[in-house]
Amino acid sequence: MSSRGDREPSAELGLVDATMIGMGAMIGAGIFVLTGLAAEIAGPAAVLVFVLNGVVTAFTGLSYAELAAAIPKSGGGYAFVRETFDDLASFIMGWMLWFAYMIAGALYALGFAPNFIELLHVYGVTPPPDEIGAVAVPGLDVEIGAGLLLAVVAIAGLVGLNAASTAASGSVETVFTVVKVSILGVFVAFGAFSPAFSSAEFQPLFTGDGAAFGLLPAMGLTFIAFEGYDLITTVTEEVENPRENIPKAIFVSLAATVVVYIAVVTIAVGTLGASGLAAAGEAGIARAATSFMPTGLPVIRNGGALIVFGAVFSTLTALNAVVIASSRVAFSMGREGQLLPSVGRIHYRFGTPFAAVLLSAVVMLGSVVLPTRSAGNMSSLFFLLSFVAVNAATIKLRRERPRMNRPYEVPFYPLPPLLGIGLNLLLTVVLVVYLVRTDPLALGLSVGWIVAGGAAYLGLNRLRRARSVGEEPTPTPREDD
Amino acid sequence: MPALDVVIAGGGRVGFQTAELLADRDDDITIVETDGDRVDEIADAWLATVIHGDATDPAVLDQAGVADADVVAALTGKAGLNLAVCMAAERLASGVRTVARIDRSEADDYSRLVDEAVFPEHAGARVAANRIAGSEIKALADVTGDVEVMEIEVADGAPAAGKELRSVRFPTGTLVISDDDGSRIARPETTLSVGRRYLVAVDPDVVDEVLKLLRG
Repeated sequence: MSSRGDREPSAELGLVDATMIGMGAMIGAGIFVLTGLAAEIAGPAAVLVFVLNGVVTAFTGLSYAELAAAIPKSGGGYAFVRETFDDLASFIMGWMLWFAYMIAGALYALGFAPNFIELLHVYGVTPPPDEIGAVAVPGLDVEIGAGLLLAVVAIAGLVGLNAASTAASGSVETVFTVVKVSILGVFVAFGAFSPAFSSAEFQPLFTGDGAAFGLLPAMGLTFIAFEGYDLITTVTEEVENPRENIPKAIFVSLAATVVVYIAVVTIAVGTLGASGLAAAGEAGIARAATSFMPTGLPVIRNGGALIVFGAVFSTLTALNAVVIASSRVAFSMGREGQLLPSVGRIHYRFGTPFAAVLLSAVVMLGSVVLPTRSAGNMSSLFFLLSFVAVNAATIKLRRERPRMNRPYEVPFYPLPPLLGIGLNLLLTVVLVVYLVRTDPLALGLSVGWIVAGGAAYLGLNRLRRARSVGEEPTPTPREDD
Repeated sequence: MPALDVVIAGGGRVGFQTAELLADRDDDITIVETDGDRVDEIADAWLATVIHGDATDPAVLDQAGVADADVVAALTGKAGLNLAVCMAAERLASGVRTVARIDRSEADDYSRLVDEAVFPEHAGARVAANRIAGSEIKALADVTGDVEVMEIEVADGAPAAGKELRSVRFPTGTLVISDDDGSRIARPETTLSVGRRYLVAVDPDVVDEVLKLLRG
């Protein structure tokens, strides 16, 4: 009876599904949560910020396409670097990518909370977001901010879901993405015809004394909005005809995402104005929508509620995606012997990478106390660094293994990966300089994580050596019938 | 049990089929193949990194990563070439396990040169003989079409080690057949003990998951 298996293995994904996974991961929280913050730094030039980030990330996208088509592994960026670099370098890469996803998880949870409160507010369930104080925890004599509590609940819920079941991928993701993009489509359509937009002011494009220099830090902060196609390469195993479909899915999802972002940010800046957007912070897009969407509709009553719902939905699904992504990186590292072996094991009952999910959850939950901006900064910083490593892997493999079969080759090599490295490093430096001035907490934690990684690497190596010494003299007993 | 890092020289029918079986077990495979059209065909299957070149060329073997490999298997149709590849690999990376495909059934002489010698035509001939005889008694290797019947020893520290069969959720397409080194049919209360071997029938696409449960 129970010697038979009853868990369903995953189905085949087509080009559309793969594209939707990439778009779904990118068009999640980044656009909803960070547009307001980008407007605060760069003013109306926030539109330009998203366009330029799309261009920068496209170079790395080319590298991903070449590597994913040539190396048949499902571990994403970490797998490629593991294939190319030595033990220490690939460990650092995995360690950084893992952290980037976990912090992104915290960021999405932090974006979910104010949007959810806004949604409740639209329906009059709760007072306006800024009037909600703290919630007293029953039994304990402490008060926790309502937003923080919501963020924790969201993470805990999705972690529980992913720890206990392997369901939900591919086709579900397609439905999610279609819903998200449709809602943004409604937003753009109504926004474009609203009176506020027809009298929109985009001049001066650059405000403040920093002028165009505001662009770079804003790019650094919102870089995470283009994190997502890495996720396509983590499911390659399930994609049909991967050597053609994976590069296509990466390019299509990236291009489509850029188009969606341009439209949405243009409307948001045009209707609410850069300063209004900045004031709304994490709920910027939602606030903009509430300003022009029709009211008095049946069922949903306020049209703006639809967009707020879109923000809640997007942040939740994106959070789900990074819970999966972060645990997959940790799981791969465990299987490669770069984290404790138990992290690389699936649970005997649930069939999920249980330890990897729980371990990732601990860091995510610990990070929700951070300000949204710090979480965005840190996550972007580590994505930038790991993208540098992926571009470097492309170049190193070309030099060391020229005869490797590459079904897709980066055009105009070596220009794109070199540009990818250069531009990502430029943004990294700008972001670090910006952090030194404005967000020493994020910088300190980032350095701390890398130092902790070094310690973990040394500790694990020592543990492994101790184990192999202890095991060798006593061969495992074997019974032969 | 971490995945094996395997370099296969020759992506013809034998090399490719071998790669397919190993890929189902989640091993890391690199195939070296000289023929350009064949390289594209293998790439379409997306189960191995492919190096386009001649495996007797040391530079090509380097690019295939023999230095970090656990096993080098030379599976082309030419026995002499296979032996040359294995011995070159042994020189480039001492201690790597070598497997050579040979062209006759007496493999004893080769044990001085390579770790394992295989004569795949022998297994193929057994299958053909079973089919011709058409009897109800068939060799284990032939009873199954795509289903893999495997004898698996439970590893120390594996997720399912020490657990009762009824508490372990195997993926669909798994059937644990016998317990305790094949002495009786498995029951729900059968315990998966470390070091014991269990006969398991598995669909090819979930072999890796079952191995993860039983081998860690």
